Amino acid sequence: MAEKNPDKGYVALLGWSLGAIDAAERFDRRYVVVAPDWAESYCTENNIPYVPWNFERLNERSMEIAEKLKDMGVDVAIPLFEETVEWAGAINSVIQGNPRLHGQAILFRDKALMKRRAQLGGIRVGIFEEAHDRGDVIRFLKRVNQTLLKLDGDPNDPIHIKAFDKAGCLGHRVIRTADDIDTIPDEEFPVLMESHLDGWEFAVEAWIHNGKVQFLNISEYVTLGYSVFVPASPELESWRPRVEQEVEKLIKTFDIENGFIHPEYFVTSDGTMYFGEVAFRPPGFKVFELLERAYGFNGYQGLIVCFDPKSTDEEIAAFFPKEVVDATTHAGCFGVYPRRRVVSDLDIPEETENHPYFESHELTAPMENKVTKRSAFGTHWGLIYFVGEDPTTMRDLLKHQEELDFYV
Amino acid sequence: MSEPIPVPPDHDAPAPGTTPDPAGEVARLGAMVDRALTRLEETSAFAKQTARGPLLDIAGRLLAKPGGAQALYDRAARIEASGVFHATDWDHPEILQPSLATGTLAHADRPTATLELLSELRMLSIAQGDLLHPRISSEQAQHFLAQLLALNLNRLFGAQAEAERSNATLNAAIRNLVGFIAERIGYGEILACLSTEIDRILAQRPIMVDDVKLMVTRIAACLHDPGINSGGGGLGAARLVSALFGPTAGCREDPGLAVYRERLETLDDSALQQEARAFARAMHDTGLVSAYHPVFLRHVSALERGDLLGQALGLSSTGTEAFSCYAGLVYSLIDAAITPDTTQAVYGLALLLERGLLFDPAIGPALWGHIGLEPCPTAAQTLTAAFGDRQSPATLLLAGTISVLGQPLGIGQGNNPTCQAARALSMWALAAPDYLLHLLTRAARDHNITMVFEGQRLSSAALSAGLAPTPPIDVDPVSVVLVPHLDRLYIEMGRLCADRPGDPHAWVNSAMHGWWVGQDTALAVDLNTGGLAGDADRFVRLFHGLYHPLYNGNKPVTHPQPAGIAVTDSVGRFIGWHAISILRVGLGPSGEMRIYFYNPNYDGGQDWGHDVVVSTDSNGERFGESSLPFDRFAARLYLFHYDACEEGHTDAVPDDAVTAILDMARATWAAPRAGAA
Repeated sequence: MAEKNPDKGYVALLGWSLGAIDAAERFDRRYVVVAPDWAESYCTENNIPYVPWNFERLNERSMEIAEKLKDMGVDVAIPLFEETVEWAGAINSVIQGNPRLHGQAILFRDKALMKRRAQLGGIRVGIFEEAHDRGDVIRFLKRVNQTLLKLDGDPNDPIHIKAFDKAGCLGHRVIRTADDIDTIPDEEFPVLMESHLDGWEFAVEAWIHNGKVQFLNISEYVTLGYSVFVPASPELESWRPRVEQEVEKLIKTFDIENGFIHPEYFVTSDGTMYFGEVAFRPPGFKVFELLERAYGFNGYQGLIVCFDPKSTDEEIAAFFPKEVVDATTHAGCFGVYPRRRVVSDLDIPEETENHPYFESHELTAPMENKVTKRSAFGTHWGLIYFVGEDPTTMRDLLKHQEELDFYV
Repeated sequence: MSEPIPVPPDHDAPAPGTTPDPAGEVARLGAMVDRALTRLEETSAFAKQTARGPLLDIAGRLLAKPGGAQALYDRAARIEASGVFHATDWDHPEILQPSLATGTLAHADRPTATLELLSELRMLSIAQGDLLHPRISSEQAQHFLAQLLALNLNRLFGAQAEAERSNATLNAAIRNLVGFIAERIGYGEILACLSTEIDRILAQRPIMVDDVKLMVTRIAACLHDPGINSGGGGLGAARLVSALFGPTAGCREDPGLAVYRERLETLDDSALQQEARAFARAMHDTGLVSAYHPVFLRHVSALERGDLLGQALGLSSTGTEAFSCYAGLVYSLIDAAITPDTTQAVYGLALLLERGLLFDPAIGPALWGHIGLEPCPTAAQTLTAAFGDRQSPATLLLAGTISVLGQPLGIGQGNNPTCQAARALSMWALAAPDYLLHLLTRAARDHNITMVFEGQRLSSAALSAGLAPTPPIDVDPVSVVLVPHLDRLYIEMGRLCADRPGDPHAWVNSAMHGWWVGQDTALAVDLNTGGLAGDADRFVRLFHGLYHPLYNGNKPVTHPQPAGIAVTDSVGRFIGWHAISILRVGLGPSGEMRIYFYNPNYDGGQDWGHDVVVSTDSNGERFGESSLPFDRFAARLYLFHYDACEEGHTDAVPDDAVTAILDMARATWAAPRAGAA
């Protein structure tokens, strides 16, 4: 356990993430974990400071947890998952006496509201609409393709549909035909529909304090939903000045003082940057681990130091390295999906295992032999980590993994 | 902004890496292991599992490379300290079992198997004295590795099995590591060391010898491999191999059971006598029974050749007498229970006759009852799950019954928290065999046994599970059927007196075990603190006055008495409370007063630290007994039963003897414990 700084207050971690708790344990802030009561025995056994709370819908008892944390001396609540973003907003609005923080959090939780707000802020977004049933989706698909001057019989340009309030790829589907629309289950409505942008998609992680970006990472997606590496290649990094401008617009539009955002952007072939969506929580795909491997700093500790309103400028300056130049290597990971319909065994391809960039994997043997058809961007079966000097080799290596069988 | 979008170069496959030199690979993977270790070291104890995966993955690959085992061995201390074993069974090397480890290597997924391999490396480091571990001694680690090697000799010498090919990296890692351990210990010494290890276990005459048999089988394969120079170590091993596979002239070359059966038809009387004597010699010498032995017994039993039968069982005049009085019963037992799948029951039968048990008027009829006993579906299912379906559940159970009656001290608790139940079985097999047979009938037939506790009838069928979450299956057939019931009754009795002040054993033990358990209870521990009770001085004096022949008027122990031991590890730290029974007290071969007791653990030879080393042979023990000098035993004893009217000369015990014993307790199990209030 690290020496705790008595001049600072407590931070509260909303949601259960061992990686985040471990990071807090080893950082100089006192902390408390707010998690459902199933975590209680683990916290008691391991002396983890803990407040039980079940994150259901906000209700009349919500004030209770905010007051409780405030009384404990908590200065800020940090959301670790999409499901706790709104809670953090509500709690922080009480703790910090700033009611706007809750409204802000709701914007992050509803993808349609989020896009509209971004549009109002002068941020470029694609065409989007809300859909309440399949009829809405059909109309949107037709209209988008009419706009693109497609003739009957031409293959449609796809559209994307996403759940309003889910993280990452959960509930994300690509729709090309009316048949695709039939595969959407009723319970997924309402959804957000977006036109497809052909171009280069990437994500950004930005740690923000006092309304300023303190560290900005660009995560290069080799293939969306499959692979990512940091720092990005020099080609993508050449966009950094534009990216910084866009992120500053986001900070202004969403009125962010302290915290962390994780937006996604597209660059189309004509060099226009489109905003996709933004989340107010740590990214998936273990990007924090990749950053730690490349730069040596812990992303969760970065969250704590940025969210904490009591952090000093010197503290923050000392915490973060300099983007790109301070990275010692490139770190990437690939999410494995079985390619065969029936699998019985995990078998890491020799060429992967013997590649000098290969570091480790977290795949486990298959529990079921039959692979469910990947209708939406489902969850991968585990990640493989690579580390190496050359971004081009890294990109090609990650791309090549898509052609290999890890489950046979 | 209108710079063109860079298009990634379109060559898909990276050039496949040329095979790098092995030393470079080991160094490269070693550096990755170091990085993973650093990360694991930095991670808080409660989150170790988040950083364990990369280490296991990389270490597994390193182990698969030539020279990888050495590279990881050099890091053994760091690996142990990194916390990779934290919150797993491997964090307690003292409880690890070679047979389970072998199963893990063969069947677990790669991360788990790699964790097992890292544990083996750590064991080797402890065995070699390079690493000191607080909970396991160098000798214990050597025992563990010797048995592990015995069970994995096929990995060392045998051809690669087809199943091993599919998981190439892991199996290369296992082979490399087993080879590395064997090299460190020395190939020449392995066989000798193995047979010593096996002898040590067999000297305790356990009923369950499956693991031992497996080890002997692996040794046999090595002895027959011309590529292996077994050196002088082969001699002791050969004795074990022949006891199992060819104990007599008629089966010396291991011809197979069918051939041997035919061969018996052609043997003349003197040849049959030689066969019979050779079987008896091998069996009584090792405690192992060859599969040919039942074939021979069934043959002479069908001919009603009592003389040959007696010789094949190696009976003395007592056993011969018992046999001749109950020949019909013995023939029936052989017919119903002695098969090549239940070989060890032959040894049990010989000892049952030798004990003169059949002269007890209740035993003959009870055994006749057991010959026709059909286990209920639940019991039958568990028996089949534990011992396979080559023999009917009825046969398995009857064979187990014979073993238990013949070898009361051979009962073990297996890898289950049921020392109380195992002790009760052993105690009844010794002192109340008719009661044991009665309980067994009820449990097997009705799946229910009833006991009366302070006037209240308790039915095991109506109670929920006890200490063991599932019925144990790594134990003998009688335990398989009875232990779940005893476990539940024991827990229920404890529950009924949970709110009484004092230790619940005071009421439970006499109610559960029998009339001979003393009605008074002495307790050395303060239940609130775990330290010594205020009147511990009186406890020690009382124990002398009741059990020490020089202070109790030279009264022998008549029945096994349940007692509680504070078990400590090899450096004397408290591990837990353990149930044993005191069997007898007497002078050992070197003239010191010793307590001989029964320990339900499979291997009673244990180092309890601070010079308290439990002996299982060479100090006057009978098969299956453990023993300690009287004062050493007293220093680990925390509970015993007595009848106040039997108290001897407690005041005559010298003060310094009492003080010395209490000091030993205070220095070990009664030391203030971390976390104790």
